[in-house]
Amino acid sequence: MITSVFLIPILFIISSVFLGFSDNFYHLYENLLLEYSLNSIYLVAGVSLLVTILGVSTAWLVTFFNFYGKRFFQWALILPLAVPPYLLAYVFTEFFDFSGTANNILRDLFTTQSDVIFFPNIRTIIGAIIVFGFTLYPYVYMVSRVAFMNIPASVIEASSLLGKNSISTFFSLSIPLIRPAIIAGVALVAMETLADFGAVQHFAIPTFTTGIFRTWTGLYDLNTALQLSTMLLLVIFIFLSVERASRSKIRYVNSVTTSNSYKPIQLMRFKSAAAFFVCFIPVFIGFFLPVLELINWSSQVDTLVSTKIFLAASNTLYISLSAAVLTCFIALLINFVVRTFGISQLLNDLLSLGYAVPGLILAVGITKMFTSVDAWLINYGTFITGSILGLILAYIIKSYAISNIVLNSALNSIPIALDESAQTLGASKLKLLRDIHIPILKTGLLTAFLLVIAELIKELPATLILRPFNFDTLSVSVYLLASEERMFEAAFPGLVIIFFGLIPIYFLNKLILSNNK
Amino acid sequence: MKEFLKVKNINLSFDSKEILKGLNLIIDEGNFVAITGASGSGKTSLLRVICGLESPSQGEIILDNSLLFSREISVPTEKRNIGLVIQEKVLFPHLSAIQNIEFGISSKKDKQNLSGEIMERLNITQLAEMYPHELSGGESQRVALARSVVMRPKLLMLDEPFTGLDKDLKQKIYPEIKSILRASKITALMVTHDLNEVKALADKCFNLESGQLTEL
Repeated sequence: MITSVFLIPILFIISSVFLGFSDNFYHLYENLLLEYSLNSIYLVAGVSLLVTILGVSTAWLVTFFNFYGKRFFQWALILPLAVPPYLLAYVFTEFFDFSGTANNILRDLFTTQSDVIFFPNIRTIIGAIIVFGFTLYPYVYMVSRVAFMNIPASVIEASSLLGKNSISTFFSLSIPLIRPAIIAGVALVAMETLADFGAVQHFAIPTFTTGIFRTWTGLYDLNTALQLSTMLLLVIFIFLSVERASRSKIRYVNSVTTSNSYKPIQLMRFKSAAAFFVCFIPVFIGFFLPVLELINWSSQVDTLVSTKIFLAASNTLYISLSAAVLTCFIALLINFVVRTFGISQLLNDLLSLGYAVPGLILAVGITKMFTSVDAWLINYGTFITGSILGLILAYIIKSYAISNIVLNSALNSIPIALDESAQTLGASKLKLLRDIHIPILKTGLLTAFLLVIAELIKELPATLILRPFNFDTLSVSVYLLASEERMFEAAFPGLVIIFFGLIPIYFLNKLILSNNK
Repeated sequence: MKEFLKVKNINLSFDSKEILKGLNLIIDEGNFVAITGASGSGKTSLLRVICGLESPSQGEIILDNSLLFSREISVPTEKRNIGLVIQEKVLFPHLSAIQNIEFGISSKKDKQNLSGEIMERLNITQLAEMYPHELSGGESQRVALARSVVMRPKLLMLDEPFTGLDKDLKQKIYPEIKSILRASKITALMVTHDLNEVKALADKCFNLESGQLTEL
C-alpha cells in the first residue's frame, strides 16, 4: 500500500500523455519548448563543467597535497551544500546589483562616480551556471575525494617511478581511475539543476520547471503541465540511470583496491598559496559570501523576528518534524520487513525513486491524485486537496531515500545472527524490533531524522504549491519576500535555513573522515 | 529411553546444490549428541533446519511428540522452544550480561530467580552488569549459554560453541556444561570438528557426509 501511495502521483503524471494534447500544449511546442530545452541543456552543460572543475581539482588538492589551510578545507569545501541555490541566487542578485555591495566596494576602492558599473547583469544563464556551480560542486567534491582516497598508494607511486609528475599522473591516471565517481557526482548535480525552481525563477530563465509552473498557474492547464513534467521526468530518469550505473562501477573499483596510505606531498610557498586560493574561492563564493551578506542584511532590519517569520519558523518546524518522524518510521518499518521477511530490496529501490522527482513535479502529481480522491470524497462532505496531507506526503516521498540510506546501512551492520538468537529465545517480530533493533539503531534513527529535517527545511517548490492556505514556511517566506525585492527581511529566515543545512554537512564530513581512516 | 527428537527424511538444497539428502536422526531424551563432519558438509544447516531458521524441501521434524515441521506445518522458530548457541558473538550489544540472559524470560519474578540461579551455576555472577564488549571470548560464550539454558529449552543446540577458546578454558567449561544440562534434563545436539569435545561431552556421535548421517 505504501508503495502505491508513493508511486501513484508519478503514474498520474505519466498517464497525462495518454489524455490528448490541448491547444496550450501545441502553443508551447511551437513557441517555447525549444527555448526551455535549449536553456536546460546550456544550464546543465555549463553547471556540469563548472562543478567538475571545482569538485575534482579541490578533491585532488586536499587528498594528494599538504598545504596551508588543508585541514580546514577538507571539511569546509562541503559547506556550500548548506546553501540552497535559490538563496545564493538572491544574494548574487543584490550583491552584484547596480547599488549592491560589490559595486559599492569597487567604487569606494577606485573612488569613481556613483553611476559606474563594475559587474554585468547577473540575472543571465551564465549567472545561473555560477550559482548552481558554486552551491552544487560539493557533490562532485565528495565522491571524487572518496574515490581519490581509494586509489592505492602503490599505483600513484608506480606512476612516479615511471617518471610522471603530479599533474601528469592526475590527468593520465587519477582522473581515468575515478571517472565513474565523477560521472555519478555530475549526474546528481544535473538532476538537481533540472529540478530547481527557485533560482531559475528568480533569474527569469525559462526552463522546464518555470514552464510547468507558468502553464499551471498562468494558463490553468494542469494536464499540459503534467505532460511537460513527463518530459522532464524522462530526462531526470536518464540521469538517474547514469548515476546508478556509475555508482555500481565505483563499488567495483573500490572492491578491488586497498586503502590508501599515500603520503601527501608538501607544497611550498607559491604552490601552497595557489592551492589555498583554488580551495578558498569555491568555499568563499558558495558559503561565506552568502552567509556574510545575509548577516549584513539582517543587521539592517529593525525587527529581526517578526510575527510572520516566527509563524513561518514554527510552521516549518511543525511540518518538518512531523514529516521526518513519519518518514523515519516508514523507512524503519519497511527495512525491518524487508530484512525479516526476506522481501526483495527492489521495494526499497522503488520507494527511493521519489528523491529524483523534482519537488514541483511531485506537487503537480499529488494535486492530481488528491483531486481524483476528492471527486469520491465529496460524497462524504470532505476533501483533502489543499490540506496539510499533500505537503506531508510530498515531504515523505522526497526524503524517504535519505532516511532509507542511513537506516538500511545501520540495519545491515546488525549481524543477522542477532535476529536469529532473539528468535530462538522466543522473541516475536515485534519484540525483535522494539527490544533489539530500535535500541541498536538509536544513532542511525537520530541521524536519519536530522538529515531529513535539514532537507525538508530548505524545500521550496513542493512547499510553495502544496502548502495549505495561509501556511508559510521559512523557504516560502524567503521566496515571497525575495520576489517582492524585500531582501533584507528575507535574510534572517535565509540564515536559519543555512543553519539547518549545516546538519548534514556534519554527518557527511564524519562519513568522509571515517572512510579516510 | 524415550525418542525425544525425530528428524525424518530431510532434504535441503541451496541454489540446486543438495546439502541434506533424506537425512534421518533420532535423539533420546536427556542425551547429548555430537555431529562432526567436514567444512561445508551441512552440519550448521541441519541445526538451522531443526530450529526453523531454514525450511527443508521435504521431511518431518518431531520434538517431544509435537510436530514442528512437515509438508503442511512449520512452527515458527520463536515457538519451537529450541535453544541455539553459536560460535559467533551473538550477545545483544546494547544489553548487559544479565539483561541478555533475561531477554527471553517474560515473567518478572522468574527473571530474577532463574537468571540468578543460572549465573551462579555457570560462575558468571560477577559479569552481570558488564556489557558484551567488556567480556572476553570465554565469558561471552558462557553468558550466551546461560541465555539459552535459562529458557529451559526442550532441546539445546550448540554450533561449534567453543571454537576460539583456549585449551584450559575448554577443559574447565566442559564439565560445567555437562552437569548443568544433566541437572536441567536438557537434551543437547552439538556440532563440532573437535574430537576432544566429542569425547568430553557426547553420549553419541554421528558423522555427516554427503548429506547423510552415520553413527560413529
